[in-house]
Order: sequence, then C-alpha cells, then structure tokens
Amino acid sequence: MTRKPTLLKILDILSLLIVPAVLILVWFFTPVEAVMGPVQKVFYFHISAAWGGMLSFILGAVAGAGYLRSRRMGWDSLSLAAIEVGLVFALIAILSGMIWARPIWNTWWVWDPRLTTTAIMALIYLAYFILRSGLSTPETRSRLGAVYAILAVMTVPLTFFSIRLFRTIHPVVIATGGGQGSAFNMTPRMLTALFASLFAFTILLADLVWHRFRLAQLQNPLSLEEK
Amino acid sequence: MKPIVRYLAAIWHILRKDIQVEWRGRQGIPVMLVFALTIVFLFNFALQLSPDLQAGLAAGLLWVSLAFASTLGLNRGINLERENNAMDGLLLAPMDRSAIFFGKALGNFCFTGLVGLVLLPVFSLFYPQNMLRLPLVLVMLLGLGAYTSLGTLLSALSIQARTRDILLPVLLYPLALPILIAAVEASRGVLAGQTLSNVSSWIYLLLAGILLFNAAGLIFFETILEE
Repeated sequence: MTRKPTLLKILDILSLLIVPAVLILVWFFTPVEAVMGPVQKVFYFHISAAWGGMLSFILGAVAGAGYLRSRRMGWDSLSLAAIEVGLVFALIAILSGMIWARPIWNTWWVWDPRLTTTAIMALIYLAYFILRSGLSTPETRSRLGAVYAILAVMTVPLTFFSIRLFRTIHPVVIATGGGQGSAFNMTPRMLTALFASLFAFTILLADLVWHRFRLAQLQNPLSLEEK
Repeated sequence: MKPIVRYLAAIWHILRKDIQVEWRGRQGIPVMLVFALTIVFLFNFALQLSPDLQAGLAAGLLWVSLAFASTLGLNRGINLERENNAMDGLLLAPMDRSAIFFGKALGNFCFTGLVGLVLLPVFSLFYPQNMLRLPLVLVMLLGLGAYTSLGTLLSALSIQARTRDILLPVLLYPLALPILIAAVEASRGVLAGQTLSNVSSWIYLLLAGILLFNAAGLIFFETILEE
C-alpha cells in the first residue's frame, strides 16, 4: 500500500497526455456543426463524462457486492472511490449539458429524459455520502453503503424508463432538433473524436478511481496492518 | 408445520403486533392524516389553484401528500423497534430475518393504504372530481405497495445512522422517483376517464417496482440488520 504501483504511474502519464490530446482533436480536427456552431463541441466531453459516471456507478455496485461477499475493506474502498469519482463525472455531464442547452434550446434546463435521469442519479449518489457520513462504525458504514450502492444501481433503469415513458406519452414540448448523439448526423471525424474522447475519459476515470481507492485504503486504519 | 407456513406465520405475527401497537396508541395513522391534509391546504395556497387547474393537479397533489405523509409512518414504524431495543427481540426470534421485512412492509402498507383511502373522499370534497373510483384505488394500492416496500428497506438503513430521522426522505425520494412518476401518471390517466389497460405501461412499472423492492428486501434485509 505504500509504494505507487507502476501501472498506476503509467495510467497517470497516459491520462495526462490523452486528455489534452483529445481536447486538441476536438478543437482542430472535428468539423463545426452546421446548425449549432462551435458550442456543439461540448458534446464530446459531455457524452464521455456521462459514460464515465454510469460506468463508475456500476463499478461501485459491483464492488459493493464484492464487499458483502468477502467483507474485505478493500472492496468498500473501491466502491466508495468509484461512486465519488462517478458523482464528479455525472456533475460534469450535467453542467456541460446545461452549457450546451443554453444557446441551443434557449434554456439552461430541459426536462429531457437523459438530463433528468442524470440529475436524479446525482441526487441518489449525494444521498449515498449523506448516509455514510451518518454512520459511525466503519463496519456498518461499509455494509450499508454497499447495500445502498446496489439498490441505487437497480433503480437507475427504472428511473430512466419512467422518465422516457413520461416524455413519449406527453406531447414533446421542446423539439429536440439538435439533441444528444442521435439527433444530428455525425460525420466520420465526429465519430472518431467521440470514441477518442470516450477512451480518454475511461482512462482518466480508471486513474482517478485508483488514486481515490489508495487514499481510502490509507485512511482506513485496518489496512495498515494488512498492508 | 411446513417451513413456508412457519415463515408466513412469522410475517403475520409481526404484522399483527404492529397493528396492535397502532390500535392501542393511535399515533401513526392520525398523524399521517393530519399531515397529509396540511400539505393539501399548503399547496392550495402555495400554487394558487383555480378550479380548472385543480382537476389536472389532483393526482399529483394526492401523491405528493401521500409520499410525504408516508415518510412519517415509515420513520415511526422503525422507531418503534428502536425504542427499548425491541429490534433485538425481533432479531433473536427463531425465523428468517426477511420475515421481519415483509411483516414491517405489510404493516406500513396497511397504514399508508388506510390514510390513502381516507384521503380519496376528502380530495373528492375539495376538488371538483370524484376520486373514489375503483381503478384509482387499485393504482393507489399498487403505488403504495412499491413505495412502502422501498421505504421499509431504507428506513432500516437510516435508523442505524446518527441522523436517522432526517435521513429517510433524502434516501427515499430520489430512489422512489420512478414509482411516484408511474403512480401519478396512472392516477391522472384514470381520473381523466381512461381504463386501466390504457395506462398499462405505468401499471407494469409499478408491478416491477413491487417485485424489485420486495426482492431487494428478501435479499438484503438480513445484511442490513446484522450486528
């Protein structure tokens, strides 16, 4: 636990290189979208952040299940790390979505299924930290945190489905002419940049989760004995 | 006795105990009712409801007041077990611990269901709509079934935290959102004169919620309560 693993060092350097590289790609390589203009370029990071958040929350639940099976604090640290980083990614997705929505839909906020689901998800995982902070014994905190992490992931599809259904039954209030992903035609260059960005964010996510995991392990007094 | 009969008997005993406590103390249902009515009045002024608006909003108001009032009942239901360490007694009983979950969830369902059944005629008085209809009663019971199952599960989580009384709403509302959306939409459809088959997708969502949260209770309740 004391020394930084070599793979983590490689991940550090890789994410330091790849995220600016994708930024340059987005700035200079991708075409400017005909209708929306340059603001559409937030899309690459927006999708990637949402993807990273989703992935991270699922990892948090899987690690939670791992904790409940094995009762090893390492799994709990991983679950906590994944959910904390996932929450940051989800917030980035929401904020970048709002920045995109302002000039395109002329409003900061649209009750769009994906946007709303992401916001609810952020609330659900904010509650995760409130729950943890209220539990004083480490064992209870890990156990109940794990149960909640699994429960939270279970309800996310229900939430998405219900909001989607809500929208399709209701008349579409705001025509999503320049929506997310499917609503405008992507050129091959856009697709390349999107996949590059998804890849970069996944690397960055792995790096951040790993660092947060190490920090959680260091904070955990038992891990010092285990090494 | 066969194991399944013994299991059902254990559930019944817990349910009967809760009904007995409620009958002798009368501290849960009346408080929930008064609280729900207060919310109805609050909303009337906060939202400045005109008669034509009221018809469309009645379903939403019904569910908001039910959801808020249920929280009181859920908190009280689990606090009963915390006082005098009654939970230890339950845990010592020679039975599967998920029976405690089903017993408590059924109790909560009965109490909130009763509150709902009283609220329906009251709403019919206050709003220009007869809400005492069989389809609406069915939708209400389904929605409350899913809501109280999730609520019972989360109340067992929140009771263990230092912030116990204020924690439950924060955990419950975001996770229960799909249930509340489905319940409100199904109720609104039924009130607008649609049949149950017209709102079948919402009904299925509610059934999915009931299944999912009860399965979660069956699997996780033991883990939540272990000491």
